[in-house]
Amino acid sequence: MQGYNDGMSRPFWSNGPSPGQFYNFTGGDRSASQGFGPQNNFGAQRSSQPITTGTSVVGIKFDGGVMIAADALVSYGSVARFQDVKRVFKVNDQAILGTGGDFADFQSIQRSINDKMIDDICHDDTISLKPKSLYNWLTRILNNRRNKFEPLWLDMVVGGIENGEPFLGHVDLRGRSYEDDIIATGFGKHLALPIIREQIVEGRPFTQEEATNLIKKSMEVLFYRDCRALSRYYVAVCTAAGANVSEVQKVNQNWEVATVVRGYS
Amino acid sequence: MSSIGTGYDLSASQFSPDGRVFQIDYASKAVEKSGTVIALRGKDGVVLAVEKIVTSKLYEDDAATRVFTVDKNIGIAIAGLHADGRYIVDIARQEAQNYRSQWNANLDFEKGDRTIPLKILVERVSAYIHAYTLYSAVRPFGVTVIIASWNQEDGPQLYKIEPSGTYFGYLACASGKAKQQAKTEMEKLKLGDMTTEEIVKNAGKIIYQVHDELKDKDFRLELSIVGKETNGLYQMNPEKWLNMASEAGQAAKMDDDSDNDI
Amino acid sequence: MFQQMNIQQNFPEYNIPGKQHHDFSPYESNGGSIVAIAGKGYAIIAADTRLSSGYSIHTRKQKKTFKLTDTTVLGSTGCWCDTLSLTSLLAYRMQSYVHTHQKTMSTNAIAQLISVMMYNKRFFPYYVSNVLAGLDEEGNGVVYSYDPIGHCEKTTYRAGGTAGALLQPVLDNQIGYKNQNLAEKPEITKEKAISIATDTFISASERDIYTGDSVVICIITKDGIEEKTVQLRKD
Repeated sequence: MQGYNDGMSRPFWSNGPSPGQFYNFTGGDRSASQGFGPQNNFGAQRSSQPITTGTSVVGIKFDGGVMIAADALVSYGSVARFQDVKRVFKVNDQAILGTGGDFADFQSIQRSINDKMIDDICHDDTISLKPKSLYNWLTRILNNRRNKFEPLWLDMVVGGIENGEPFLGHVDLRGRSYEDDIIATGFGKHLALPIIREQIVEGRPFTQEEATNLIKKSMEVLFYRDCRALSRYYVAVCTAAGANVSEVQKVNQNWEVATVVRGYS
Repeated sequence: MSSIGTGYDLSASQFSPDGRVFQIDYASKAVEKSGTVIALRGKDGVVLAVEKIVTSKLYEDDAATRVFTVDKNIGIAIAGLHADGRYIVDIARQEAQNYRSQWNANLDFEKGDRTIPLKILVERVSAYIHAYTLYSAVRPFGVTVIIASWNQEDGPQLYKIEPSGTYFGYLACASGKAKQQAKTEMEKLKLGDMTTEEIVKNAGKIIYQVHDELKDKDFRLELSIVGKETNGLYQMNPEKWLNMASEAGQAAKMDDDSDNDI
Repeated sequence: MFQQMNIQQNFPEYNIPGKQHHDFSPYESNGGSIVAIAGKGYAIIAADTRLSSGYSIHTRKQKKTFKLTDTTVLGSTGCWCDTLSLTSLLAYRMQSYVHTHQKTMSTNAIAQLISVMMYNKRFFPYYVSNVLAGLDEEGNGVVYSYDPIGHCEKTTYRAGGTAGALLQPVLDNQIGYKNQNLAEKPEITKEKAISIATDTFISASERDIYTGDSVVICIITKDGIEEKTVQLRKD
């Protein structure tokens, strides 16, 4: 089966009636001339920029698992447009995903991931998408799109458990990817990473409790200093016992200092 | 079919003078040779059961399986040419996926996302099968497919598509070798308001009863189920229900045999 | 149409300050340096482990050397997503060579393959600096270096990547004995090569912000590939 984002695979037999189209058995291929956008001899000029965007994603490996957090905001430029959106997801019991960047692009990817998982169920071999496979697949999809100069404007953090070991990786809009014990995207790279890195104890991983507290602290700092951040966030956690996305979490806010600020009134 | 041959059976694109398309009739013959497949629709679930005839001990247990998953809550059972059936299943999967990509706005895989309504799926698959009865360059599919699903809004649903492309919704249906015998058994049941347990047990009974030990020695029961009890998920050969069905089937068989002895 | 395309130049006030204008660039420099030295019976290749863009560091432990065979190692830096694409395609091409010829690729065959693969994208190049080190058929060290569009040169030592221009003159002096009017040029031993490579990286991390954290040195001999890690500046 062929997915929308799976530009590399070709259908097995492409000569007959095709799903979602009128069965046009004896006729030629009528879909070839159809397509979006202006088309002329000079080609089409597209602008490529993110529209509805999510900000930072923070991911931490801990002893026996991994967690990924992102706030609940999807912005429209500087408008805080959608204020209760989950940007972290459970893919299955062994993989979780956090996303920043263009949310429409992400939803397109999410549709493809769902399709892949249905394919896995249909195969009936009890094998399902593993985090490293998902990570590598995303790398190829995103790189393929940037090669066409039609990037999927995404900053994604993939986490999970593979062969009993925690996994954490980052993929961006060019398909650039790397793995690490701590990953943050966007403003999180500047604000959250140093805070988390300071708490590393050489020679041992974080405990789950430590990781939870570090996420909490990171989201708090991001809320104070990132204009495109929100005080509500979700955390996805994956351990050997499975994966789940938390209820909405609230950042500790303290504005008492505002009363002593002088010079603005 | 007294007029076998006579030159009108060579192409699917030609009628015979008495109004038949022989290629379709022959396709149905292929189905009649197949091991029996039945489906029962209960109050809040559907069960598909297959008498998979084992022609050699050399096959693995799961060889030539005849029940398939199409989407999370949709399953298919086939009777007829196995390879044709697999292909139709693939078409059904593509249709289901295509419907998702066009109409399913809810992307949360965990929560109850909306899969293709069975009516639409059946309509499209049957249109596909029908297209293969119209042209001289192709042959019709030698399969009957039984498609089942359950969801909260529409409840249990069950359809059967014939090689001609015709389809109907059913309370219970059968295809293959012992189609008639199975239908007779099914007509005795109070279909439509049976519990999942009852339809599973009855499905097991019927498959064991209609199996002809003299003609086909060995068979394997394949059973799949979708309904409220499975949280709306289509499950193939789930241990609990499969055991329940085969126990009921074996018990019924024993009863029958002892009746015959007297 | 051409008039339309010039709208922004003719009406500069349409570029409102504060509005974010994203212009997509397919390339990004992710930094990193490579040094490779070849001698009699050995070749070494070293690359740092910092992956960055602009002023931010993505990770401090990204290996940039790729073991291709038991006698060949590729070092690749530049636009990291291109490095990933190139190396995974290379792995595929090398595997199909094994399947068709029933033998692993020699270092010079790989060198040629990389050149061809790079030139295949002549008009949308892999934005990477590649240095290939390995043993030739006699078991002696060789180094091949590339430009982004597939030009290939066989040498005995090479520095590449963001600190390439910084380090090459050092190697010219220390290994090539360039402009030194020596009666004889002593051969570089394996140990000497390792120590020079280490020193160049320590120096590079002083002056190049894209090089640092640690350096992984691959030592290729007929006995296999040994790997050493030396810590570098982390600021």
